[in-house]
Amino acid sequence: MTVSRNKLTKKDITNMGWLSMVLQFGFNYERMQAMGFCYTMAPYFKKIYGDNTEEVAAAMTNNIDFFNTEMHMATFLNGLILSLEEAGEDRELIRNIKNGLFGPLAGLGDAIFWFTLLPISAAIAVSLNRQNSILGPIVFMVIHFFGAISRIPLGHLGYNLGTNAIDLIRENAASITKAAGVLGVMVVGALIPSYIDFSFPETFVIFDVVPVQGIFDTVLPNILPLGFVLFLYYLVSKKNVNAVKLIFGIIVVSIILSYFGIM
Amino acid sequence: MEITLVQGLLLSLLAFICSLDQQAEVFLIFRPIVVCFFSGIILGDVQLGLSAGAVAELAYLGLLTIGGTVPPNPLIAGIMTVVISYTSGVSAEAALGLSLPFALLGQWIGMILSTVYSGLMPIADRICERGDVAALGRLVILSAIGKSLVTAVIIFLSAYLIQEPITALVEKFPEWLIHGFRVAGNLLPGVGLALLLKVMLKIDNVAYLFIGFLIATYIEMGNVLPIAILAVCITFLSYINSRDQKAYDGGVDDDGI
Repeated sequence: MTVSRNKLTKKDITNMGWLSMVLQFGFNYERMQAMGFCYTMAPYFKKIYGDNTEEVAAAMTNNIDFFNTEMHMATFLNGLILSLEEAGEDRELIRNIKNGLFGPLAGLGDAIFWFTLLPISAAIAVSLNRQNSILGPIVFMVIHFFGAISRIPLGHLGYNLGTNAIDLIRENAASITKAAGVLGVMVVGALIPSYIDFSFPETFVIFDVVPVQGIFDTVLPNILPLGFVLFLYYLVSKKNVNAVKLIFGIIVVSIILSYFGIM
Repeated sequence: MEITLVQGLLLSLLAFICSLDQQAEVFLIFRPIVVCFFSGIILGDVQLGLSAGAVAELAYLGLLTIGGTVPPNPLIAGIMTVVISYTSGVSAEAALGLSLPFALLGQWIGMILSTVYSGLMPIADRICERGDVAALGRLVILSAIGKSLVTAVIIFLSAYLIQEPITALVEKFPEWLIHGFRVAGNLLPGVGLALLLKVMLKIDNVAYLFIGFLIATYIEMGNVLPIAILAVCITFLSYINSRDQKAYDGGVDDDGI
């Protein structure tokens, strides 16, 4: 028996892109984004299969297992899976493609949106805030509004590429991730002198007259903030110290230094 | 200054809306830079909202929910930094340190909810087996509203109901303690940056960290945008180079050498 399938329109994919914003609703540790991921596609499974509830149920059941990726990339996968489902591809194949792609896609999406776009937009907004301009939060919201709706073209891309998507990802994921890394690292480097205030007060002197801060400034301005970040980097990446311990540690040490008048 | 009942309710409404976005991570209005601004508007002190937004955003910059990990709650940290500074009169930098217990409370409750919500999966499975699209939609929406309500209640309790004990406590702090919190507030952005570096820093891009640092140290700039543009130029150049290199290598092969 052949199953009849309806075609999805461009408008359907656009609407699916908006709906995919619920991806992380119902997030839980057992299957993470499964519920939102499945629900994003469910109305379109219904459109494809019409009154054939059995097929709708089978397609939904195929997409309710463990899933976790970067949110924009999830929309891309939603588009891809809808195109495969519409073409009547084998569900086992769809499942394998989904499970094989969400890991690499997470790395790609994190590199672009969370390690590049977020730090840069935050840095720009913070500098505006410091000039007492309400443009800071506004610029931030505008940038991320466009960031948010960029998932819609990504959904179209996934839908239009179909199975070709797999080769495309394999060829380009590594180089895009690498480029985003350069951008992100350089911006973090630039943020260090601007946003970390690590300096000793002028009253902190050695040999009665030599201010400690003056010595550091002569060697290289902002060497203390740089050293501080590299030290924290060493702790989090080589010693696996978690962030909460680090924050507590900084607060405790700051209070002790403040008590002795060193900072 | 004191927070009125209306302001308390508005803050918890803000928390409710932003918490929906925090779960979805779509528009990023849950980031401290935005919630502090709106909290400042609600409390009638936009100036405070801007300065608190700047310090809190930087401190929470690298604390992201990547791969399902839950960091101290940036939304609660943002609102409470503004609230503590407003009620007790300490600087935004000092208030950031004092907001940490609330952010941690938010983190723990978030982890508990994500564990409890695992219990929804058998229900979702049954819905899928029936092919009931509308029922799955209701489950998704209601579970999101549930988490947001919890955040709204936390904010109402912390910002409105227990503001007096907090203010009384902070007012008893000696000067060196408040100053210590301010020093910590100035240093905490380092944690965010270190966490970003943990995932991004590789041996092939470590040089760019120092290039960015040196440019920002020696050239006065209003913001970091010029450096971002420069970085885009560099990555573009290296892409062109590697493409040309590939074409060149390919050409050699075609000649059969």
